[in-house]
Amino acid sequence: MKAVSMANRAAALLMLIFFSACAPPPAVSTQVASPAEPAAALEQSPAGAVTAPGFEGKAWADIVAEARGQTVNFYMWGGSDTTNTWVTEYAAAELKKQYGINLNMVPVTDIVDTVNKVLGEKQAGRDANGSVDLIWINGENFRTMRQADLLYGPWAQVLPNSIYVSSDDPSVAYDFGTAVDGYESPYGKAQFVMVYDSAKAPVPPASIAELLAWAKANPGKFTYAAPPDFTGSVFVRHVCYSATGGYEQFLGEFDPELFSEKFPDCWKTLNEVEPYLWREGKTYPENRTRMQDLFANGEVYFDMTYNPSEASSLIAQGKYPKSARTFVFKDGTIANTHYLAIPFNSSNKAGALVVANFMLSPEAQYSKAQPANWGDMTALDPALLPSEWQTRFAELDLGEATLSSEVLAAHRLPELQADWLVSIEEAWEANVLHGQ
Amino acid sequence: MDIRQSEKRRRFLTLGLVCLVLAALLLPFLPQVIWSFSHRWLFPSLLPTEWGLRGWSYVFSPGARLGRAIITSLTISATVSLLSILVGLPAGRALGLYRFRGKTLVQFLILSPAIVPAFAAAMGIHIQFIRYGLADTFFGVVLVQLIPTLPYVVLILGGVFSSYRIEVEEEARTLGANQLKVLWYVTLPSILPGVIVAGLFAFMISWGQYLLTLLIGGGQVLTLPILLLNFVNSGDYTLASVLSLILIIPSGTILWYTSRYLTREGTALGGFGKL
Repeated sequence: MKAVSMANRAAALLMLIFFSACAPPPAVSTQVASPAEPAAALEQSPAGAVTAPGFEGKAWADIVAEARGQTVNFYMWGGSDTTNTWVTEYAAAELKKQYGINLNMVPVTDIVDTVNKVLGEKQAGRDANGSVDLIWINGENFRTMRQADLLYGPWAQVLPNSIYVSSDDPSVAYDFGTAVDGYESPYGKAQFVMVYDSAKAPVPPASIAELLAWAKANPGKFTYAAPPDFTGSVFVRHVCYSATGGYEQFLGEFDPELFSEKFPDCWKTLNEVEPYLWREGKTYPENRTRMQDLFANGEVYFDMTYNPSEASSLIAQGKYPKSARTFVFKDGTIANTHYLAIPFNSSNKAGALVVANFMLSPEAQYSKAQPANWGDMTALDPALLPSEWQTRFAELDLGEATLSSEVLAAHRLPELQADWLVSIEEAWEANVLHGQ
Repeated sequence: MDIRQSEKRRRFLTLGLVCLVLAALLLPFLPQVIWSFSHRWLFPSLLPTEWGLRGWSYVFSPGARLGRAIITSLTISATVSLLSILVGLPAGRALGLYRFRGKTLVQFLILSPAIVPAFAAAMGIHIQFIRYGLADTFFGVVLVQLIPTLPYVVLILGGVFSSYRIEVEEEARTLGANQLKVLWYVTLPSILPGVIVAGLFAFMISWGQYLLTLLIGGGQVLTLPILLLNFVNSGDYTLASVLSLILIIPSGTILWYTSRYLTREGTALGGFGKL
């Protein structure tokens, strides 16, 4: 009896707490104090652009007006303090000041969790008021979202700043082989470069074949991070491009027959060099950070990265020796673009559009490209920029170890479609890591 | 003489044991402290070759949102422990004081979240929470964290009530106290140490939750473990160490003060009752 009445009281107390917790939160103050800057007010969608779904008959200025006061939940990989700080301090402050938008950066350890989150919301029937407004994405995650119809669009063409993006650049129009079709807007670019210490190896190898020959001649001084680490994975793709007679044959959809016919040559090449790798190839560095440590410590003579200016930043931070330099292979290195996309059920689409447009603006791209801020390669085509911005980008000091944008642009190879990547990573594990 | 010497030896042994336990508890944190101040620490150096404040200056920069995460974590854990006490008290009382049909089954069901990973159930709960609009909210996270905390709270409170003399309540009633007075002057004071221990357990379990918070909070409910795991996964040990040290401070402080309070009352173990 007593236990029951006690339970009743507890239940009443619980209810009380429930209700007090359900009280409406204090209203988010909408920014009205600072007027939009003239540049923002003058912005227009490119002439002839198809309007974004849901904004029919509306001009860009209407979207900007609607976006004012919205909170945009921006989901992004949050593992780097530099990247986080650029978004939470620079971008968020500018968006607040110029557009009255609150940018809420949501850090995640792997963006695939966010893809699954949106998928979960779709399955639960939450077609509006989704929790994700903007997502930093590319490759297989973009493909998954497109295939599952999880993305809003097409919208990238309405962004006023999209005029600075080269429309015929295949590395922007295709995201790991998947047509972008306006469902995501470029954010930045990445290109694979090798890092070497010019004090120790004055002449860098010109090709994969030369690099592997060097590794055999210098046992224990070379290694790569184990795929699926994305830097290790892209290195393996370079070796496979070289060992199988070129990437051109793999550009289409995944072809299992072609894969099992051609790729054994690649595993053979990698297995041949394995005994000469760091720790005799019995183990591989688990991720990019460990790889950096090995190079910084002089245990290995080469490092590799998707960010061409990263070595310069690491020299500036004192982590890499001043003599560190970067190089690309004469046959080129793999490049890709990373993007921003808007989920189908975002409740702040206007805000997300304005944020994506801001991220594409010359000022944001310039700030992001500075090695001290982030050092991310711009997604814009400098040739399309107003002359003052052209000069600023040209004069941007990317650091002594960074190759010029001309050299990089002249040595660009495309990524394969996501299915190829997954198969290569799995086969590497079976044939190289556990093979022999 | 002999007795004094053996007394001395006993004291020495106790001191040694205490030191050993302390070392086992505190030594694991030493590398973290070093990591948090390291700028360059590479194999095979025993200590960092360069020291720096990058980690600490980042977490205290406004962009890191550390303050917000601490407040969110504290509020969630405090609410979770309060709610689990409110739910756990009647359950613990029923299990500790009464025999009834199917009691073993009830006990098993209450304990099951401690055996089955809460994450398994949480996937289904997530879909429901999305429908009810509880996903990505503070309250949704609080509710889902009750799953792992409740078994422990009920277990502890059940133990407390099993050594509780309900006759005292009846005596008070015969002396004219009403139900509320009995609760306030009789029941609560005698079970208070147990309630505090149970609340602490709930607080600690909630404080360290990562997966459930991530799933239901969707990353928008930004707690300390969510901030921390970003850097653990990316291999940035300096930042990960700074954040894990910060993660330890509030729970460590609470544990310290509460255990002091409990031992002063001489009921630190009494709180667990007949477990």
